[in-house]
Amino acid sequence: MAEHVAHDDHSVAHESHSTKFYWMIGGILAVVTALEVGIFLVESSFSATMFLVILLGLALIKGAGVIAFFMHLRGDAKIFQFVFLVPLLFAFSLCLGFLKLFSNHVGIAG
Amino acid sequence: MAIAEQHVASAHTNSPDYEGFSWRSWLATVDHKKIGIIYIVVAFAFFVLGGIEAVLMRVQLGAANNTFLTADTYNQLFTMHATTMIFLVIMPMNVGIGNYIVPLMVGARDMAFPRLNALSIWLFIGGGLLLYLSFLTGGAPNAGWFAYAPLTQNQYSPGAAMDYWVLGLGLTGIASIAGGLNFIVTVLNMRAPGMTLNRLPLFVWMNLVVSFIIIFAFPTFTVASIQLLFDRQFGGAVFNPAQGGDALLWQHLFWFFGHPEVYILILPVMGMVSEILPTFSRKPIFGYSFVAYSGVAIGFLGFIVWAHHMFGTGMGPMANAFFSGASMVIAIPTGVKIFNWIATMWSGDLRLTTAMLYAIGFISMFIIGGISGITLASSPIDLQQTDSYYVVAHLHYVLFGGSILGLFAGGFYWFPKITGRMLDDKLGKIQFWLMMVSFNLTFFPMHIAGTEGMPRRIYTYEAGMGWEIWNQIETVGTFLLALSVLMFLYNAIKSIRSGERASNDPWDASTLEWMIPSPPPSYNFLHVPTVTSRRPLWDAKYPHAVGDEHGGHSKPSNVRYEYTDENTPGAKDIHMPTLTFSPMWLSGGLTIAALGFIYINKEILGLPEGIAALGFIAIGIVMVFVGIRAWIVDSRRDSPYMSSHH
Amino acid sequence: MSSSVSHGTGEAHQKPLLGSMGVDSRKLGLWAFLGSETLFFVTLITTHLIFYARTKATLAAAGTLEHLDPRTHYLGIELTTVLATLLLASSLTMVLALAASKVKDWKKFRVWQMATILLGAAFVGGQVYEFIHLYHEGLKLAPQYVLEGETVKSLYGVTFFTMTGFHGLHVTIGIIWLIATYVKVAKFPDSPENPMDIELAGLYWHFVDLVWVAIFTLIYLI
Ligand code: HEM
Ligand SMILES: [Cu+2]
Repeated sequence: MAEHVAHDDHSVAHESHSTKFYWMIGGILAVVTALEVGIFLVESSFSATMFLVILLGLALIKGAGVIAFFMHLRGDAKIFQFVFLVPLLFAFSLCLGFLKLFSNHVGIAG
Repeated sequence: MAIAEQHVASAHTNSPDYEGFSWRSWLATVDHKKIGIIYIVVAFAFFVLGGIEAVLMRVQLGAANNTFLTADTYNQLFTMHATTMIFLVIMPMNVGIGNYIVPLMVGARDMAFPRLNALSIWLFIGGGLLLYLSFLTGGAPNAGWFAYAPLTQNQYSPGAAMDYWVLGLGLTGIASIAGGLNFIVTVLNMRAPGMTLNRLPLFVWMNLVVSFIIIFAFPTFTVASIQLLFDRQFGGAVFNPAQGGDALLWQHLFWFFGHPEVYILILPVMGMVSEILPTFSRKPIFGYSFVAYSGVAIGFLGFIVWAHHMFGTGMGPMANAFFSGASMVIAIPTGVKIFNWIATMWSGDLRLTTAMLYAIGFISMFIIGGISGITLASSPIDLQQTDSYYVVAHLHYVLFGGSILGLFAGGFYWFPKITGRMLDDKLGKIQFWLMMVSFNLTFFPMHIAGTEGMPRRIYTYEAGMGWEIWNQIETVGTFLLALSVLMFLYNAIKSIRSGERASNDPWDASTLEWMIPSPPPSYNFLHVPTVTSRRPLWDAKYPHAVGDEHGGHSKPSNVRYEYTDENTPGAKDIHMPTLTFSPMWLSGGLTIAALGFIYINKEILGLPEGIAALGFIAIGIVMVFVGIRAWIVDSRRDSPYMSSHH
Repeated sequence: MSSSVSHGTGEAHQKPLLGSMGVDSRKLGLWAFLGSETLFFVTLITTHLIFYARTKATLAAAGTLEHLDPRTHYLGIELTTVLATLLLASSLTMVLALAASKVKDWKKFRVWQMATILLGAAFVGGQVYEFIHLYHEGLKLAPQYVLEGETVKSLYGVTFFTMTGFHGLHVTIGIIWLIATYVKVAKFPDSPENPMDIELAGLYWHFVDLVWVAIFTLIYLI
């Protein structure tokens, strides 16, 4: 693991994508954003849960796209994934934990 | 950018000015060893200040109905005492020793980001000074180290004290996050060949874990204190229930940071002890992976127990049960470590040096603190004990009996490496016993006073409550404790001047820092060693003992002592980063800007509200930009890319 | 901005910045920093969500005030869609700038990098406009807002402004970083550290975009 050679395969240039690929990702992200706005505009035709699930799902897709392809985390060194995704997981748990603790008008915490 | 080109051209003729004493060589240093020493010295100075605050408080509490201090002064003292000890003593002391030792242990020539390292130390000092400036500007913070809402709101804490607290700790917080990142990258990416994660010394392991805890825990605190600042400066009321805010939100955010924080204080010390015990037991650590991974487990679990500090708020049975349970679970990996240490000493060939005595003292006192911790983790019991002196006893057994005793162990252990001189062992032992006795005199009775109902954070109490005798004992203990700290100070100063000279390896130890001279040359290793086992130096010294007694690593080690200095042939070719004032500009600018933020809605220097503040902020921002520019120029000059280019 | 000590013996290295983990130190440090930043922003977002939920509960409890929901009143979909699109587009131009730098096409790099800077500046401009607008509409750094003559006790405003404000601050820092990189590359076009400098600035920039992806959905839409 600590060998002092350069691991070219996964360190310097994670697979370099073509410009066309980036345009495509950008396009997809734009479409997803449009979808989000569209769904927002016709909110009333969904149940509240449905609305939430769809919007969160779309946001997740967008975020994953940015992280995986624009930030090249996909296919990059594992250690980058570790130092970024672990705190991201912590952050998700923090958010859910606090929303749970502070749920209801006077939640179990307030 | 003409300057930049000039610098690049002269990069190789400009050898760093490391030799001899000059102010410049310290103030502009980027050497991890010098930065480590500055951390240690400054932290010790704050230790003395925090100690003085403690003595004053104990004098006040030494008798019932005492009038030595007023209530308000007392509040300032206990707030500043705790804030100082936690943020300005134990944390930076850990960071300082880590700064000095971690790169040596992994076989590196410096931290991964030397300039960032310098930024951390100056930001830490800036934050500490800012905090103490509050004493001169109308009174220090007085709402407790956890700054509970709504006490911290303007109507209860008028004046600038709480703003000093927020911004002073904000600066040290940035320093900590920067330092945490620096340690993470150093440990992961700067290891010598063969130094796999599996071979990392346990002190390095614990520093790695703590660095992750720091970068995960501090942001929450930062957000909470920013919101507190907005409450105070712009009328936000996020934590003011009277206006729709939520005081308990502060508690949750604070303790989400605060509990991991106590592990930030203890884990590096556990790492130190895990180095010291094997050295003086002449045995490898028992269960290396258990010690390493229980550290990881503690770090992880430390994030899901925070609300055990809040049982008294009535969170409800579900939350109480969860946080009680989780807190009990965290005692398991802690206990695992204790058993590992005891097993390490078991049937070892013990050498009871002062460092070893302190390490053993650490274990014994920490066990007591751990046990009181477990009692507090049970929410029904905690309801009886919370906010009483029982909690004060608990936290001092883990923080003084744990962290501080462990730091003394580390201090005695690495003093020879850092200064090149041995501490006086005899004096050290006397001081150790004095400290053990006086520590227990000071803090053990607090268990009893607390159980008898004495609340914490009271500035005086009525006679006849049955607390007087305990308080008198505690106060006597405190003076003896102070004496033992002074004894150490005397020992350190005397030994730096005229102590016995230390060889490379005075303790016959096993890790890489002992293969190089004491103190090491600026570049540390002339030849970066290749590591083949967990105990590279032992395996080199005792090739035959390796297979059996030393735990199954029979690989031959080619690590050799180096006897080098700044003039050793070849040393000049080692490219070390040059001196730079850019971190100082940056941290100075941030500190001045922070001072400005304190006074946004207050008058200062006789100027109308906000004017002086904007002035400070403007000056600060200009200094920050000067610093950034110098930083870019300097980092380009020292860039390894550049040196390979020429 | 930062730099690191090369590991090893100090001789010329082909890839001097690849350490024992096989990665660039600065890049590792930046990724870890971004990890830490996720907790920073998620805490800001979480406190805002907590108080939004509480505000809605207060309005519902009052019976007749449900139409005074601060989000529907203050946060229009139009402006924020424009803002989200600006940042998204800037992420695209950023990655194109990086791709151009990898093949040493400096002309293209300058175009895309400048486009990123301008898009970022437009975003900040839009946010400043939004803040001023909200302020005039009655949403302030105060524990209440005023709508249709009703004063509603709520921390919606404070937490909204701290959250989006700190995001805006990050965008501003990102712009300064991008400009610094742009200038540095222009001065030293054949410096071997250029691609990494650009990659780092880019990573930070994408992260700022990522935060807005979260804020856009969690704060503006839901
Ligand atoms: C066996 C593990 C531990 C458990 C279960 C535990 C549990 C607790 C509990 C429940 C409290 C809250 C008491 C109250 O305020 O009512 C507490 C307070 C405290 N603990 Fe521990 N603890 C443990 C270890 C530690 C360690 C290792 C440290 C530090 C190195 C530490 C430092 C503190 C501090 C500073 C406080 C007081 C915080 C304040 O000012 O209110 N504890 N502990
Ligand atoms: Cu705790």
